[in-house]
Amino acid sequence: MTSKRALEVAGMLAAAVALCLAPSYLERGTLNDVWNVALAVVLASAWNLLGGFAGQVSLGYSVFLGIGAYTTVLLALSGVPPAFTLPVGALLAAGASVIIGLPTFRLRGPYFTIATIGVGEAVRVVASGVSFTGGASGLRMPPASFDFESNFRAMTLLAVAVVWIALLVSRSPFGSALAAVKQDIDAAEALGVNSTRLKVSVHALSAALVGLAGGLFAINFQYVSPGSVFDFRLSLTIVLMPIVGGVGTVAGPVLGAILFGWLQLKLLSTPALLNSSLFIYGALLIAVMLFEPKGLLGLVRRLLARRLRRFYVDA
Amino acid sequence: MPEPLLSVRALTKRFGGLVALKSVSFDVAPGEIFGVIGPNGAGKTTLFSCLTGSQRPTSGSVHLRGERLDGRPVWAAAHRGLVRTHQIVRPFREMTVADNVAVGARFGRGRRRGSDERERIREILARTGLAARARSLAGTLTLGDLKRLEIARALATEPDVLCLDEVMGGLNPAEINAAMALVRELRESGLTILLIEHHVHAVVGLSDRILVLNFGERIAEGRPEEALNDPAVVAAYLGDAAPEAAV
Repeated sequence: MTSKRALEVAGMLAAAVALCLAPSYLERGTLNDVWNVALAVVLASAWNLLGGFAGQVSLGYSVFLGIGAYTTVLLALSGVPPAFTLPVGALLAAGASVIIGLPTFRLRGPYFTIATIGVGEAVRVVASGVSFTGGASGLRMPPASFDFESNFRAMTLLAVAVVWIALLVSRSPFGSALAAVKQDIDAAEALGVNSTRLKVSVHALSAALVGLAGGLFAINFQYVSPGSVFDFRLSLTIVLMPIVGGVGTVAGPVLGAILFGWLQLKLLSTPALLNSSLFIYGALLIAVMLFEPKGLLGLVRRLLARRLRRFYVDA
Repeated sequence: MPEPLLSVRALTKRFGGLVALKSVSFDVAPGEIFGVIGPNGAGKTTLFSCLTGSQRPTSGSVHLRGERLDGRPVWAAAHRGLVRTHQIVRPFREMTVADNVAVGARFGRGRRRGSDERERIREILARTGLAARARSLAGTLTLGDLKRLEIARALATEPDVLCLDEVMGGLNPAEINAAMALVRELRESGLTILLIEHHVHAVVGLSDRILVLNFGERIAEGRPEEALNDPAVVAAYLGDAAPEAAV
């Protein structure tokens, strides 16, 4: 047990070091792809804290990415350095999650999900209409505010950190309360679990992580508009990644994010498939639901078990 | 009667036009086993829901040790030492039996952590006869074990008052005897117990006093033999049959 934990810690540290040094041994194009996958890992794993561990499926996560991104752009335009804009964006995203969560967590199951769609769309419409967001045409970051290598390191380290946080949460008493709420919220409350406080807390943690990613997103693309960060398709993709990978597990969302990150790059580089991303994601989702509800991770586990069985039977 | 531990006054619950509980009042003394019986639909489970806060009573009050509980969330009742089990068992099916009990130990009144928590879980599993199933997934248990798990999780919250809702329903005679022995043992350890039970023999055998409900109203209360022979109770259960048949 303890040696397994030591191995995990070593693996995380190795991944962090390898990613930090990546700019010295990988080409710029590859680094860009890795950055995209790292963003997907952050979004999928952070969403999974609420949607996977606590079973509260939110389709409004673009709000937190958008708040993180806009906080960084707006503060950067008034001369604040990124070291300050990023945490402020995370805090504002967490604050927004509390405001959204308090009323919507009174709803259960699909009603909660539908409410989060409504909140996400309302935020997008309002953001397109007010002037401080730059309206529909968006805002550009101040010039000379971009250093690819530091942005790359920040995003990949954030990805490792989010996976680590997911691992710690999944084993903590906090995580066991989330699992109880997911499996039977009334029984959990009868045993003393304050489910509202629990859901609001995990929502805030998850929103803060997505808010951090939003800040790095703004710095990387140097441009933010309501259509790019408050897009419903973005919220949808954030949900699809963990579901395809294996919802409610630590490794599943990472697998899903790697697959989606890779798919997206393929789709963008193949002109004929450029507009078919939602079609392909939809087909993937249906395939997972029909054949492997535990996602890619479930599939991997099943294949490994079969391989092992064959190995022992043959030997 | 000593100072009551649980005090219920004029508790009423309406669902639209249906009155599920009509001004029910009673007191329960520390260490008592208090049975609640009545025909189907009499309001027994609604009474438990209103006591523990999973439903909000339309009017009336519930006091535990003089502190008002009604209208507060169900987890608040658990933190103050009033906990219930569910008639239709509600295990966390994808957790082990030990992890199910851990939820009560961690988030109930005791707020146990670490080795203290593990010790507590071990003790409760041994007490409820579930030690051998500690590592089984709750979804794989038999009904008898699931009913025991309901009790085990509730105990893990370290209550003063334990509300048992039909923990013997669906069990075979041997399992019922074991469950009755467990309830007696829990009382010996200082717990106060409210018992909803269809199984009249078990309720009479266990309870110090019983409350009989019919259509949400209290029709009798007192020592089991007396309450069961009350003409109103006989009429509610059996129409106009002979009083002896009720026991």
